[in-house]
Amino acid sequence: MPELLARLLRSPQGALGLAIVAMALLAVAVGPLVAPYAPEGLFPLNRYKAPSAAFPLGTDQYGRDILSRLLHGARATVVMAVCATALGTLAGAVVGTASAYWGGRGDEAIMRTIDAIMSVPSLLFALLIVNLLGKSSVNALIAVAIAFTPAMARISRSVALTVRKQDYINAAIARGEGAPYVVLREMLPNVVAPIVVEMTIRVSFAVMLFATLSFLGLGAQPPAPEWGLMVSEARKFMHLSAWMILWPSLAIAFVAIGFNLLGDGLRDALNPRT
Amino acid sequence: MTAVLDIAGYTLDYALPKGGSFRALENIVLTIARGEVLGLVGESGSGKTSLAWAIMRYLPGNAQEVGGTIRLNGEDLRSKSPAEIAAIRGRRIGMVFQDPSTSLNPTLTLGAQLSEALVRHRSLTLKQAWAEGEAMMAKVGLHRPADMMHRYPHEASGGEKQRVVIATAFSCQPECILFDEPTTALDVITARQILDLFRRLQDETAVASLYISHDLAVVATVADRVAVIHRGRLVETAPVIQVFNRPQADYTKRLIAAVPRPDRRLNDTTADAEAAPLLEVRSLTVRYGQESLVRRLLGVERERVLGNRAVSLSVQPGEILGVVGESGSGKSTLARALTGLNPFDGEILFDGRRIASAGDMDRAYRRDVQLVFQHPDSSLNPRQRIGEILSRPLKLYGNGHEADFPQRVAELLEQVHLPRSFAQRYPHQLSGGEKQRVAIARAFASHPRLVICDEITSSLDVSVQAAVIQLLLDLQRRFGTAYLFITHDLNLVRQIAHRIAVMFRGELVELATVGELAAGPKHAYTTALIDAVPAPVG
Amino acid sequence: MSLTYLLRRSGLMIYTLVVVSLIVFGITQALPADAAVMMLGENATPDALAAIRQRLGLDQPVWMQYGRWLAGVLHGDFGLSLRTGQPVGAVMIEALSRSLLLAVLSIGLMLLVAVPLGIVAAIRRGRIADLFVSVVSYVGVSFPEFVTATLVVLVMADWLQLLPATGYVPLTEDPLRGIRHLVLPVLTVSVILVAHVSRMVRSELVDVLHTDYIRAARLKGLDERTVLFRHALRNALLPTITIVALDVGYLLGGIIVVEEIFALPGVGRQLIVAIQARDLPAIQAGALIMAATYSVVNFLADLAYAALDKRIQYA
Repeated sequence: MPELLARLLRSPQGALGLAIVAMALLAVAVGPLVAPYAPEGLFPLNRYKAPSAAFPLGTDQYGRDILSRLLHGARATVVMAVCATALGTLAGAVVGTASAYWGGRGDEAIMRTIDAIMSVPSLLFALLIVNLLGKSSVNALIAVAIAFTPAMARISRSVALTVRKQDYINAAIARGEGAPYVVLREMLPNVVAPIVVEMTIRVSFAVMLFATLSFLGLGAQPPAPEWGLMVSEARKFMHLSAWMILWPSLAIAFVAIGFNLLGDGLRDALNPRT
Repeated sequence: MTAVLDIAGYTLDYALPKGGSFRALENIVLTIARGEVLGLVGESGSGKTSLAWAIMRYLPGNAQEVGGTIRLNGEDLRSKSPAEIAAIRGRRIGMVFQDPSTSLNPTLTLGAQLSEALVRHRSLTLKQAWAEGEAMMAKVGLHRPADMMHRYPHEASGGEKQRVVIATAFSCQPECILFDEPTTALDVITARQILDLFRRLQDETAVASLYISHDLAVVATVADRVAVIHRGRLVETAPVIQVFNRPQADYTKRLIAAVPRPDRRLNDTTADAEAAPLLEVRSLTVRYGQESLVRRLLGVERERVLGNRAVSLSVQPGEILGVVGESGSGKSTLARALTGLNPFDGEILFDGRRIASAGDMDRAYRRDVQLVFQHPDSSLNPRQRIGEILSRPLKLYGNGHEADFPQRVAELLEQVHLPRSFAQRYPHQLSGGEKQRVAIARAFASHPRLVICDEITSSLDVSVQAAVIQLLLDLQRRFGTAYLFITHDLNLVRQIAHRIAVMFRGELVELATVGELAAGPKHAYTTALIDAVPAPVG
Repeated sequence: MSLTYLLRRSGLMIYTLVVVSLIVFGITQALPADAAVMMLGENATPDALAAIRQRLGLDQPVWMQYGRWLAGVLHGDFGLSLRTGQPVGAVMIEALSRSLLLAVLSIGLMLLVAVPLGIVAAIRRGRIADLFVSVVSYVGVSFPEFVTATLVVLVMADWLQLLPATGYVPLTEDPLRGIRHLVLPVLTVSVILVAHVSRMVRSELVDVLHTDYIRAARLKGLDERTVLFRHALRNALLPTITIVALDVGYLLGGIIVVEEIFALPGVGRQLIVAIQARDLPAIQAGALIMAATYSVVNFLADLAYAALDKRIQYA
């Protein structure tokens, strides 16, 4: 683990991504504790304020402190995105690996169906599912997880197939190893790394997808300090204060960039041959 | 005789990413005269390819030329501008590459790739260049050149593609041509035809040729003089006969000793032909692929690819049975079927026990029959330490207590002449030869009675190969292990095998003792194969 | 390209469409909404509800309803909107034409920008230009469409007052105003695509430039321009066809958001309206049209690839 960290820090992407993701996770962990105000604390006399000493990032249409809302909202946005991606990855990995292990016609049928499902764009898929389950953060999480599953299944399968073709797997089979050993000890350690890389990159999609769902009114509901929702609400007051839009927008993009960079950094760091 | 290519005191460094530099070439001195072929021989990492890039002025960004000159008919190439170099490349110095399947652009026709050099350098119109290209194709022995001009690389065989590459190199009548391992990627018989073509064109054009190869036997047949390169230095440059008969440098002596020669037996054991066979294969057939639904609906009949067609053979206890054939002849398919990696029809008898499918291969069979693969990079799990890799068969086959495993692993490593400390390493920290030794140690961990070696030395340098072969023979003498030794190298297998099986397009065409084969093969294909293999002089 | 490949790929597309129709129908069927109640209101009499259920076939088993719906769809009949009572099909097709205009313009702009960016980054690998493109693409893929749209509106419409923030004018009515209304939506949709595709073009081209045949072309003495345009680009841009086709998925998702924000009456906006109103036939029609567009585009891209790529002989 320390070795991986050192390798990660060697590439500019890895170091920068790690720093950004660490900041985001820090905000998740202690954000609500260090936030100067409550997320729903109203200061009716200080509405649409630009950044100042009292309100470092300014205030919104109700006079709520934007920094405090962002710090509280980190949990809603980042944790949800990570959970949804992890869930989708897990489901996808199970389907994809099973399909690769199965092989033959079964594999063919599963993959063709996955291809078919993937022709429903993720956002549309998520919209339909949220619509079915009802608007809420938890339902948005499920929707994003389901929308990610087919793509992750595809990736897991192709990774598993590449590993499956390696001679160390053939060697294990030829010496009479049982399926559990081959899958768990020989395949899994080599399959996990690329999937973790892909998952990390996908967290950034998830962050954006969540924010989009909330923006469209199908995810988190007011007055939750969810970042996408904050942008959505601020739009109506665009001409009164641009700061209200700017900060949550930047927060979303910042976290998305962080996970993207971290994913690319991990890809290099996890390659045992470099 | 004036030199066409004259390299003097040339020294090249590569800057390393962590600072410092690595000396790739040191004080290289060589000349090639008109009509002469200089063979440049070296193992991987010797610097022979760096020298080719230096001559072509195609060095990577971290290359630092420390000193020396590279002259083409008196003109120093190092002082030329990039535009001048571009006018020289292809026009005055041509190059033929190792692998014709990757050195031709897949999206352009062969004709387009041949004629573009003519348009560039000889100022021909497209039409003239096309006609000239067609003539060149005929000259390099391609049948129906007009048709070949319009084909794409994937529509031609490896040999045909290499002829096109050679035609391109000769088309602008250059003064000098570099041949970078031009037959290494080809099958034995095709390689022989390409060598014949090379000699013919060489005689006709009197071009000065630098023929780069790792294969001393090949160089001996084509070169006038040989330069031996080792760790960036030319250790010896002399006429072919002299190098092979009276090598001066120690490295050359070692290199020549390592070259497989059918007349020098390395194996003095004999196999008991009367004993009950250890392994008997009876009409083993392997089919690949599955029928496609659409094809069936359309009524398009396609025969399923046959990997092996009714192969029958036997291996005596302690015998080395060589299996030779070109790529796609089904020799690896046989290895995979015997270890349960491919489904098969027919039957296998091991020690009298009948095995009709992979399901019949129980732990005892798997312990007795071990497989070593061609590429150690792929056959050792990159995420396991060597110690873990080697202790796994011990555990699987129940050899002793787990507490003894570190000791046993150390013994296994010493058995293959590797230090004990390697147990702590990962595969990527080892060289190719060391990795293959680990793979051999893993196979011998269970004290098998039959080890199947699938081209295990073909990715190794000749001196490393010789050491690995010596190791295998030592182990065979010590444990009485039988080998099924699969290779494309007829010279090598004739040195060590008791009997040799020749495979061609999935079928076993001949099975004979080494003596019988030397006396005269029965099958026409075997004859062609033996004729195609270059025998080293000296 | 062989007949077998054409037939098999067509078969796959039909399979895809069937699966998609099942997904769309399945999800909308499971919605806890009663079409009959929605049409007649909460106060309708049980008799009236029963009558309309019978007329709509809602009393039949689910698979019968699916069959009826699919049969209708195949005849271009997507049913009547629960919200407006109008045929959904005609509305959606008209909306589709506007969305396609947006999509085609966006892909065109994207290709104009992304391909040269990717090429420059690849041939200046490791230099400032490469770093610049790399930063642009990291930033680009990290801004969701709604953020980009909001920021673009804030700057271009609110501060600079250069372009209208929302609305739509048909090009046939007033080309100039029509175009002015399309600029910001097209810009927004293109950003993510540019970021993604330029990165792909770069990595494909870098790979191609490291191949043996490019080295061989250079060592033939060909000049760098010929090497790039004649030998490298052809091979590098071929896979981009597939990548762009797959990106149509993002594009469609982006279109939903962008049409909503810019009040552009395309399929995406119709779909959002339908979802908010729980207008089942409209949701079904919108989702099906979007997914079908995606699979048809990918079908055509695969055929184009097969026709252009001489190497692969599709069995």
